[in-house]
Amino acid sequence: MVRQHHDVTLEWPDADRETRTIAVSEDETVLEAAKRADIALPFGCRTGACGTCTGRLLEVDGAEPAAGDDGRSTVGIDGAFSYRRSPRALKDRHRDAGYVLLCIASPRADCRIAVGASVHTELVDNPWK
Amino acid sequence: MSDANTPSDVEPEHEHDHHDHEGPGYATPQAAIEEGDREELAYVMSLYVGTDVDAPDFVAVVDLDPDSETYCEIVDRIELPNRGDELHHFGWNACSSSCHMEGLERRHLIVPGQRSSRIHVIDAKDRRNPELVEVIEPEEVFEYDLSAPHTVHCIPDGEILISMLGDADGELPGGFLELNDDFEIEGRWEPPGEIEMNYDYWYQPRQNVMVSSEWAAPKTYYPGFDLEDVEAGNYGQRLHFWDWEDGTVEQTIDLGEEGLIPLEVRFLHTPESTHGFVGAALSSNVFHFWRDESAASRAADDASGDEPRATGEYRAEKVIDFESREHDDWDMPVPALPTDILISMDDRYLFGSNWLHGEVWMYDISDPSNPRRADSLSVGGTFGEVQEVQGRELSAGPQMIQLSLDGERLYWTTSLFSSWDEQFYPEEGERGSVMLKADIDPRKGTMELDEDFLVDWGECPAGPARAHEIRWPDGDCTSDVWQ
Ligand code: FES
Repeated sequence: MVRQHHDVTLEWPDADRETRTIAVSEDETVLEAAKRADIALPFGCRTGACGTCTGRLLEVDGAEPAAGDDGRSTVGIDGAFSYRRSPRALKDRHRDAGYVLLCIASPRADCRIAVGASVHTELVDNPWK
Repeated sequence: MSDANTPSDVEPEHEHDHHDHEGPGYATPQAAIEEGDREELAYVMSLYVGTDVDAPDFVAVVDLDPDSETYCEIVDRIELPNRGDELHHFGWNACSSSCHMEGLERRHLIVPGQRSSRIHVIDAKDRRNPELVEVIEPEEVFEYDLSAPHTVHCIPDGEILISMLGDADGELPGGFLELNDDFEIEGRWEPPGEIEMNYDYWYQPRQNVMVSSEWAAPKTYYPGFDLEDVEAGNYGQRLHFWDWEDGTVEQTIDLGEEGLIPLEVRFLHTPESTHGFVGAALSSNVFHFWRDESAASRAADDASGDEPRATGEYRAEKVIDFESREHDDWDMPVPALPTDILISMDDRYLFGSNWLHGEVWMYDISDPSNPRRADSLSVGGTFGEVQEVQGRELSAGPQMIQLSLDGERLYWTTSLFSSWDEQFYPEEGERGSVMLKADIDPRKGTMELDEDFLVDWGECPAGPARAHEIRWPDGDCTSDVWQ
């Protein structure tokens, strides 16, 4: 039988904040569940266009992610989340690197995600520097 | 669309004073200069979107009265009901273009959320304590297949027009949303499909023309600036000239590679004029555009992508070019990135800000086809000579600018767009924005930093905030239009 909820653990990599685990139902988004639990995550458009809500998948169903060249997660998100609509703010390279838009993503597995404003800033570099 | 006819009975300049007209604003640009009081308050878009600060964006009311005890302080904050808006640009329900409309008041601020697509209406009857009175929720906006509201101007009969950068999904095309004078969505202003990309716009009703510029699809610019998108042609480089009454595009000019990302677009204030300027941020150029009535007899020149037509047509020509600069800590020459421009009320000077270099500048545009550099200030940014004011380190370059009606005081803030700030000036998020000021001598054409003036968004109660567009309560150089 399919479980209706999944445990989603939220970690703020660059902020001095406590890790939190919330139960997210399969028909709600991580952002909605966080709000319900009174946890403030950054967001903007809530339609998958702006990337403000970006998280990075660190672990799925207890499996440690294999470290990529840059030491970041290389876990595929395909089995972990289902999107309500297309994640337009993410390019292929972002999706391949495990980035996920929490405003439109509902979990399909227990997982651990890096969240907070600093994750969004990983999406693009200063091209001149 | 609304009835925006050019009245034939517009009264000549210099014959008005405050009491000769019934509507809001000033009868002429010259009247604004002569009759406008010194700005004592500023409304400034202030934002937390994209940060971990758990607070909604707000409109800051800043005290600009040097005789006040709270000079340079944020004296009121109108908090919005939701987080996630990204307040960016905003405007009045009525300006000098409705100066002959009895019963209309410059009273309500229309404050869109760039990321949320939520539109707020703030009643500023009490100039020091404005109040939120209406909220149009994003879902209502998406019904018109539009998102990402940007520039707000009033239409001369009390309606409001907002440029929208994307469709309901944050993709192209964008368009224009019209609100009625009860602040309800009236519908789309233009027949859909007139343009793909959108950004800023300005209209010149006596000439029956509107001009609009191009940024990109929201999904392109929202996450941050990605060179891949430049290579893929996802950023704009065109100007659109519209029939203001019909709401249709008459002419499109492709500015080419030197006109990449044409942002703020300004007509001269004089209602007779067809001259204007647009800053091409990524190419670090400024273009002059004007209507060439003799175009019929000429071959199309290089600056224009269109064939000439019998009735004359608009031309655009690069008139200012900012060179990239080498910096020891950067791998590639750093572009200037002129992100905002404005024209003084007397149409004499063009001011602008080079956000990456850290410069505010003024050019004499008495001859608009040959702007002459008058002065500049090197402050903040990557190269600024002044890197702190009153011991407060500047974390970014000058960005949104606003000028007093008399042209003697230039103010600016330092945040561009939260995700772009993070990329180019990550300290901005940690320290917050500042508002700074320069004293301008319009007679000599000089500018001088006022080191006594500093408004610090780093000290906001919920945490450091960013600050963006600035407006005066009674009209300013970037929102008033004349018929
Ligand atoms: S909030 Fe905009 S993509 Fe999620």
